[in-house]
Amino acid sequence: MRAGFLAGVLAAAAGYTWLAFAELAWLSSAGRLGPGFFPRIIGVSLVALCAFSLVADRRAADEALSPFWRTTLALAALSALFVAALDVLGGLLSMIAFMAASLWTLNRGRHLQNAALAIALPVCLYLLFRVWLNAAVPRGMLGLPF
Amino acid sequence: MDIFGNLLLGLSVAVSPINLAYLFLGVLIGMIVGIIPGFGPAAALAVLLPVTFGMEPTSAVIMLAAIYYGSQYGGTITSILLNTPGESSSVAATFDGYPLAQQGRAGPALVMQAVASFVGGTLGVILISVLAPAFSQVTRSFGPPEFFLLVVMGLCTLIVMVGGNWRYGVISALVGFALGTVGVDLETGNSRFTFGSAELIEGIDFIPIAIGLFGLGELYYAFYTGLHASGSGGVVQYQKERRFWPTLEDFVETRMALLRGSLLGFVIGVIPGAGATIASLMSYSMEKSASRTPEKFGKGAMAGLVGPEAANNAASSGAMVPLLTLGIPGSAATAVLLAAFLLWGLTPGPLLMAQKPEFAWGLIASMYLGNVALLALNVFAIPLFVQMIKLPYRLLAPSVILICTIGTYSVHGSIVETWLMFAAGLVGFFMKRYGFSPAALVLALVLGPLAEQSLRQSLTISGGSFGIFVERTASLWILAITVAVLALGILMRRASARG
Repeated sequence: MRAGFLAGVLAAAAGYTWLAFAELAWLSSAGRLGPGFFPRIIGVSLVALCAFSLVADRRAADEALSPFWRTTLALAALSALFVAALDVLGGLLSMIAFMAASLWTLNRGRHLQNAALAIALPVCLYLLFRVWLNAAVPRGMLGLPF
Repeated sequence: MDIFGNLLLGLSVAVSPINLAYLFLGVLIGMIVGIIPGFGPAAALAVLLPVTFGMEPTSAVIMLAAIYYGSQYGGTITSILLNTPGESSSVAATFDGYPLAQQGRAGPALVMQAVASFVGGTLGVILISVLAPAFSQVTRSFGPPEFFLLVVMGLCTLIVMVGGNWRYGVISALVGFALGTVGVDLETGNSRFTFGSAELIEGIDFIPIAIGLFGLGELYYAFYTGLHASGSGGVVQYQKERRFWPTLEDFVETRMALLRGSLLGFVIGVIPGAGATIASLMSYSMEKSASRTPEKFGKGAMAGLVGPEAANNAASSGAMVPLLTLGIPGSAATAVLLAAFLLWGLTPGPLLMAQKPEFAWGLIASMYLGNVALLALNVFAIPLFVQMIKLPYRLLAPSVILICTIGTYSVHGSIVETWLMFAAGLVGFFMKRYGFSPAALVLALVLGPLAEQSLRQSLTISGGSFGIFVERTASLWILAITVAVLALGILMRRASARG
């Protein structure tokens, strides 16, 4: 997995470097150092170091997978669903749905505690951000007032 | 105006009722942030940045700074009572703090850590008051070569001193630099890596990245390591102890450790990139070396708790020096503070103390008051914080995700930035898992534009010669300090490898 992560960084770095060479000039039209100067240096260094690390660490053993990887994955998936729901359900409803789903996953069997927290915290946060601070909170597509 | 005149001006700003209220709120939030493992001051500051939008700039920065140094106090409570540091800078407090608690001396350990934090924090602020104006005078002569070298010094220090694989640290910093080049090139007006997206023209905002890496990423990692399953059953029941207050002997024994830790911590804090964690670990080693009874260290030596505590708090004060006088943050948390300054139209640098004395000295004066408030909170509100330690992580974690997500969205009302925060969270998890440095990434992202601009300006001035970086005395000093810090870091790594 470590090699996979490094390979991913290497691929992104290679794309970045290619763009820096293909689209950005080393010198500007006035003869000064141009927009490609710094990105090219960064890109080449990044590609070289990632490639070197991939080779140097190829025999380094990965740690065993944690027994909690499923919970971590579930939490990450719920976070992604939460972000996706913001534009659809709006801020308050998505917060309540996320809290309910994650507490149901992590804090099983305590229905009353979960229900209270799943409603109270989102409502408090909504009041803090939307009402008190007048900050942006997603409206969603349902046309609800919150 | 002299230092006392400036401090009086600062105090007149800091003691206004509204600033005092935000100061107290800040230290309270800082304490809570310090207690929650896996949620550090960088994430907390980034999440709470939008909350400050409706405030006066000075009040906002006073509150954010209080969260920053308040978190250094809170992190130690869990180290002593639970053997789990709330912050990385409180790791050293577990070495002797937890053994003290197991021996029935949790009360004295908690009070002594509060006193040490207070002494370190306050001595640090006194040193800021004395040294920052002088530092400001010196740095007024700094030009592009010195600024470029300072950025390089900060990142090198961070990568070498924090430990782990140095190559992964450099890769993290380079990724940060690469992300910092996205957007319009300010010198030529060319778009870079924007792919025609209007959202990317102004570049990648580092707030979602910081919240993702330090909020979500740390939290996922905490779950991955099973923090939610460990519970708080191991919390030492200090209330049952006969003696809560430390003895006179505790104070006498640790007086030199307090002083040494404070001075060392401040010096380390001033060096960009070194920070509170390094300061506390170095202080622990120093105290062990200086002790007549080194065999007691690790088994409940009060000096082993007090020295590092004074050091990490003095370091968090020291880190304000390069931030205020150069505009160069030394850590991820101070990088968020820098962003807060810039959001409020305050440009930290050599001229800040001269041009905005009421702001700069108001902040410094508030730090004196903040440390007093933190001492009182730490001694008298310990039962409250112990109750917080007992809050199950499985309940805290979804709440933190909620705050991170809504906090990110509220900055610019952008769903793209919210997705960016989520992606940064995943990347942050893998970075933690494989030993990369999220702090180096964020610091490079923040300092990238300054590094690029000062490098290009330096080479334009010199006609392309790199000799400009060794021509001036100031540059040579910065290079010498960088080499010294790197050598020290390498020596520490070797010593650590030898066990």
